[in-house]
Amino acid sequence: MGIYEISLATLVSINIISALGLNLITGFCGQISLGHAAFYGIGAYTAALSAKAGLPFAGALLFGMALAGLAGLIVGLTSLRVREDFLAITTMGVGFLFIGVVRQNNFLGGELGISAIPQSGLPKLGFLAVVLILAALTTVFNLWIKKSWMGFAFEAVADDEDTARVLSLDVSAYKLTAFALGTALAGLAGGLYAFFARSISPDNFGFVTSISILSMVAVGGIGSVFGVLISTCLLTLMPEFSQVLSDYKLLVYGALLFGVMRFWPEGLAGLTSGLGRMVKIGGDSRKGEGQ
Amino acid sequence: MKTVMEIKGVSVRFGGVQALKDVSLDIEQGQFLSLIGPNGAGKTTLLKVVFGLVKPEAAQIHLAGRDITNLSIHARVRLGLAMTHQIVRPLRSMTILDNVALAVGHRRLRKIFPAVISGNRLLERQRALELLEWVGIADLAGKSVFGRPLGVLKRLEVARAMALEPTILFLDEPLAGLNSIESSRLADTIAAINREGLTVVMIEHNLGEVLRVSRRLVVLDNGIKIGDGDPEAVMHDPTVRAAYVGKEIADAAA
Amino acid sequence: MLYLELLIQGLVYGCMYAVIAVGLTLVYGLLRILHVAHAGLFALGAYLGLLVTNWTGSLSAGLLVSALLVGLAGMLIYRLCYQPILDRPPYVALIASIGLFIAMEEIFRLVFGPYGLTYKAAPLQSKVQFLGTTLRQADVGLVIMAVGLLAALSYLSQKTRIGVGWRATVDDPQMARAFGIDPVKVRYLNFFVGSALAAVAGVFVSLLSNVVEPTMGGVPSYKALAIIVLGGLGDVKGTLIASLVLGVVEAFGTIYIGKLLDRDAIAFALLIVILMIRPQGLFSRR
Repeated sequence: MGIYEISLATLVSINIISALGLNLITGFCGQISLGHAAFYGIGAYTAALSAKAGLPFAGALLFGMALAGLAGLIVGLTSLRVREDFLAITTMGVGFLFIGVVRQNNFLGGELGISAIPQSGLPKLGFLAVVLILAALTTVFNLWIKKSWMGFAFEAVADDEDTARVLSLDVSAYKLTAFALGTALAGLAGGLYAFFARSISPDNFGFVTSISILSMVAVGGIGSVFGVLISTCLLTLMPEFSQVLSDYKLLVYGALLFGVMRFWPEGLAGLTSGLGRMVKIGGDSRKGEGQ
Repeated sequence: MKTVMEIKGVSVRFGGVQALKDVSLDIEQGQFLSLIGPNGAGKTTLLKVVFGLVKPEAAQIHLAGRDITNLSIHARVRLGLAMTHQIVRPLRSMTILDNVALAVGHRRLRKIFPAVISGNRLLERQRALELLEWVGIADLAGKSVFGRPLGVLKRLEVARAMALEPTILFLDEPLAGLNSIESSRLADTIAAINREGLTVVMIEHNLGEVLRVSRRLVVLDNGIKIGDGDPEAVMHDPTVRAAYVGKEIADAAA
Repeated sequence: MLYLELLIQGLVYGCMYAVIAVGLTLVYGLLRILHVAHAGLFALGAYLGLLVTNWTGSLSAGLLVSALLVGLAGMLIYRLCYQPILDRPPYVALIASIGLFIAMEEIFRLVFGPYGLTYKAAPLQSKVQFLGTTLRQADVGLVIMAVGLLAALSYLSQKTRIGVGWRATVDDPQMARAFGIDPVKVRYLNFFVGSALAAVAGVFVSLLSNVVEPTMGGVPSYKALAIIVLGGLGDVKGTLIASLVLGVVEAFGTIYIGKLLDRDAIAFALLIVILMIRPQGLFSRR
């Protein structure tokens, strides 16, 4: 395996962790988050800065994860107070806020970001192995949650919050949990990315990144673990397959997002029978209003 | 008889409309109370206030002596209340069986950590099947909720509410959408659990069944309580008759 | 006099935000969709306006053609993109809209180049003195256009049959249909008007900076999304006020919080702070 392939595999695995984190929040629990890159970024910046301050690899990663999860908890608290539509914009706002703060503050690297991040201490192949294991663990964790009673609760919350409450579910606690878990995963991915790329800048964590991660979840099939795995691989590797495609990368992302939502909202998971779940028919008030 | 729930002075305003005005009601242990009244009288609104789904202008609600007026919805439910919806709200992402199984497992769902580590739904699904049999829709257990007739979904609501093992069961028009055989059967089933000790409060329009099974009738009209007591006596009350007859005349003229 | 200058600048930007945000809130009020692709129509309007103005030498022609064509484009987007997915959960329309917007930005980049286009002879550039501040005619033009268009919109919605029918459909679609108002026609009208407004805003913004580039739609529209939430989703008056408030807050904010936060993030900081205090937004009907 050449250096190039190792790098690709590492990047795909990092994206898988991040995308599965979003899948937990948006797919399992039904909370729209358009600012996932902010938590990815918090993990990255925290890990980078703590590594530079002397913390070893594992410590820096954990610290990044913890801070991202904490931030997620706080953002989750906002989700409790606002309606679904507001949440999308609020999370988008969190994303912009993060970038805004990072850009203006020199101790966070400012416009140029942070470079010369210390090595992880592992050789390239070793690092890949660690990332692969973490991605596998994340996948297993997600699958477990789906099967567990917490996953059962998440489904209910995503389906109909008020009914979930009337069925004795503490909806707020579950939403917060989903946010904290999903953002902690994003933070882990971010920390790994910092060690992988050795230098990070605000541009890596903007709205476009949030949308990229969201498209991995949407194309895979919101809620479907396997769908998201496949789509993340495809979308990460796609620009690498040809130079031409790379230049059109964003256009393809946009068209893909639009196309999938317009024609196959269940994503890849919906195309294969047996995988994925039914797309809920909601919005009855808009249904059948003239055609 | 012991009072299980005291509802005092409930007033609700929606914009310019006074939906409920100073409605009070005491519910006795083991009673079968039916709440009736013309459409728009505020019956469902009162139910929603009890559960915390609607914020009243004023209200005082006590459950077994404890003030629940400011508790969250799920906290009230955990104290022993359960309800069915007038406009059915099945969880569409799950099968009929799982809708009930979720409620059966309500204890597992109380705290996050235990919920994460338990992965087995077998016991709960078995119990859910029993409940579905009890309301007569067990043959649809594994099916989705899409396209089911109203009668089926109404009975799903009842099974789901019963799965919570409540001390007071509130039913909002459980018989609507059922044919006469099904409604008799369901009314009998509910009366049977009432005889075993469950307090039941039922909002219903099907006066035939209501008079057959309830032991106490409360009548609301235009947000005010206009009748409360023995079913026969209440139905002969002139104010109550006027409310219903008046409604019929208005409906006929429209 | 610094404060006055900041205030006026803020109000000018506020007017720009208002014209963009109104289109968004109109769509939301009617369909409960966050029409992110609106940002693409804003940029499209700027491109068309510039191209026509450069070709004909007349800004008015540019504005008119741009508004018309983009209005039609908006209707097309409704028909092709939103109408078929109205009965899906709301995130489907949201993500589709985002995808469409990104695709549009990229198409602009590929067709017109990443560095943008400029006016051959930018109109409305001469300076004007107002209350001790120096503004360009374009700034003044923006305010006049904004006030004029929104006043016209208000008049139309209150006094004409179409307008009343429109408001009825937003408030209570069943009732409106019972009165014979065709909800589909209302939706087309809604998208036409909102998109045309976005186009006009786009043209004026391009006059302010004399450049039209592919990503110009992004930031103003993200802020517009924050504005419509603040203004109470679907509430036009609230949106207007929130737009002006944001413009002014940004102008003053850059001075005071500029150390912590860059200018564009102020909108979102404001949004989050306000939503924490009042989760329904500043003004909400619901």
